[in-house]
Amino acid sequence: MFLESGFTVFESGQSTGARLVLDLLADEGVETIFGYPGGAIMPLYDALLEHPLQHVLTRHEAAAAFAAGGYARSTGRVGVCVATSGPGATNLITGLLDAQMDSIPLVAITGQVRTSVMGTDAFQEADITSIAGPVTKRSVCVRDAASLERTLRAAFRLARGPRPGPVLVDIPTDILKAAVAALGPRPHSPHAAPARPDDAALDAALALLHGARKPVAIAGGGVRSAGATALYRELCARFALPHVATINALGCATPGDPNFLGMLGMHGWKAANLAVAEADVLLAFGMRFDDRVTGRPDRFARNARIVHADIDAAEIGKIVATEVALAGDLRETLALLLQRSEATRGTRAFGGWAAEARAYGSALPVDRAPAGALSATAVCDALFAMLPPDAIVATDVGQHQMWAAQRQRASDPRHFLTSAGLGTMGFGLPAAIGAQFAHPGRTVVAIAGDGGFQMSLSELATLRRYELPVKIVLIDNRRLGMVRQWQDLFYDKRYSATDLSDNPDFVALAAAFGVRAECVAEPAQMGAALARLLAAREPMLLHCACYPAENCWPLIPPGASAHEALGPEALEREAAVA
Amino acid sequence: MTLDFTLHDWRVMERVVGLIGRLGCAYTRLDVRAAHDRYHASLDLVGAPDALRRLNAQLTRLCNDDKEMSR
Ligand SMILES: Cc1ncc(C[n+]2csc(CCOP(=O)(O)OP(=O)(O)O)c2C)c(N)n1
Repeated sequence: MFLESGFTVFESGQSTGARLVLDLLADEGVETIFGYPGGAIMPLYDALLEHPLQHVLTRHEAAAAFAAGGYARSTGRVGVCVATSGPGATNLITGLLDAQMDSIPLVAITGQVRTSVMGTDAFQEADITSIAGPVTKRSVCVRDAASLERTLRAAFRLARGPRPGPVLVDIPTDILKAAVAALGPRPHSPHAAPARPDDAALDAALALLHGARKPVAIAGGGVRSAGATALYRELCARFALPHVATINALGCATPGDPNFLGMLGMHGWKAANLAVAEADVLLAFGMRFDDRVTGRPDRFARNARIVHADIDAAEIGKIVATEVALAGDLRETLALLLQRSEATRGTRAFGGWAAEARAYGSALPVDRAPAGALSATAVCDALFAMLPPDAIVATDVGQHQMWAAQRQRASDPRHFLTSAGLGTMGFGLPAAIGAQFAHPGRTVVAIAGDGGFQMSLSELATLRRYELPVKIVLIDNRRLGMVRQWQDLFYDKRYSATDLSDNPDFVALAAAFGVRAECVAEPAQMGAALARLLAAREPMLLHCACYPAENCWPLIPPGASAHEALGPEALEREAAVA
Repeated sequence: MTLDFTLHDWRVMERVVGLIGRLGCAYTRLDVRAAHDRYHASLDLVGAPDALRRLNAQLTRLCNDDKEMSR
């Protein structure tokens, strides 16, 4: 028989490129990888047969990248995805950009055509390192077997930080087959130490805080990445600071902390947005002033003097003018702020202002559902009230994502997984799969809209194959809801390509994949249906047949300020006039 | 504005050129020279002040990542 694998028989102390890759992954602490095979990557898949590393076959490479992202988001460890050359590799691109936007540590390994034919438009050849360049921290092709180990080690180091992100390593098939020296010991070469904010800047930040009347702290995804949640909570508590979170930092606040005013941004809580609008000092930790948070930057927090702490100096001053820059690791920055506030100035509490800010409003406005109709917000309310405290929730993208973000009660920022910066539909279910592999004993829920769910529904097969008890809450409003809402509000109700009223029968569809499913359409039956879902020990889908017209409130229209947030009354007024 | 920087992997120039276009800037001179295992680049750039400032900051990030990757 002709063996295509054709590996060189190697002596002790030798390995193959493919085996070296797998050994190195294990040595870097990776336990599970997500991928999809194909020609150029076959040597790696062949070596997997004798390797303890767990490989999860998704049904699309995009799902492998999202699953690796879910794994990384829920653990803080590097997620790994694997694909073949050409179409396999290009299918990873959205997942890489998703990780890049939210600073998620990921290593993608792609097969490449053999070095001798690279550049000839060989079968399934793609210049993936160039294609992936702008969507990764770095993407490199290994051109000689001798540099394979060093390149992969560097990829892990770079993916981890200081600011985490995705790295792609492209490996030609002949290098995967080549004889190489067996994996050496893990070199002790931590990432070059990040900058530490200087004392003068730390004191300037504290001086601003002490002189403030209405300071507000903002947590961004950097607090999660840095593992600085406890220190952030301590700082907020010490000063009784009102504080808010970007969508990537939900879970950073101590559960039940009355001074936490909620999510900031376009669909953020009223109190959060108004407090920031009124603030005279903003302490921004590990956030990048995304336009979904600031609206028009020149109208954002007009009265505030801004202290911006971030590991990435390129973020400081990028969007808003910063008075005090604290470039450095957030854990260190927060620890130093705490230390210095104790040693030099004592603390000043802002409890009075926090109470004033709370009074800006805590109720989430919702549309009135037609009689007997199931509303998506009611489903979200009930779900979050029933979830165990350590449950992990992954969302897809759209209205349901915002309803979930507004209502989630995560006690840790690694419990709420969402595609924030890129807003990638199709992310939710595969991300939940990644998280469930990382946390086999925990309740993992994917909340998806009917649109986004249909972008990854083939992953129901992955749930079935691995018997993963992921719970899917499918919010089916028979519309591409978020786009429909914008057409409603900003495009004169001209509904273009947002009607999904011919959706498939989702329960039958799940059944075809061997996944248990139920449909709920009656508000009165929703609680019991959710209870059955959460009690299921196997994968299960709950199809929530919601009414189509529900909008997500509040909404700060693009270009408007926090004071101009819209609520249901905007449309009611319009209807009354009509 | 003139930018001078050192790269370990000349392919990072592709990213730099991409960024320049993305930020609505342009280069009027681009010079890259190999010296041992490094590449010294020098660029003359035109663009809006804000864009050039962002470009400069992001270039520093690219160079740091390049250095890290080549260790
Ligand atoms: C891959 C991708 N394509 C398109 C969009 C634009 N988009 C944002 S939200 C949305 C509608 C989502 O509809 P659905 O999944 O049904 O969720 P809903 O908004 O109804 O909760 C669309 C099309 C996107 N974010 N991602």
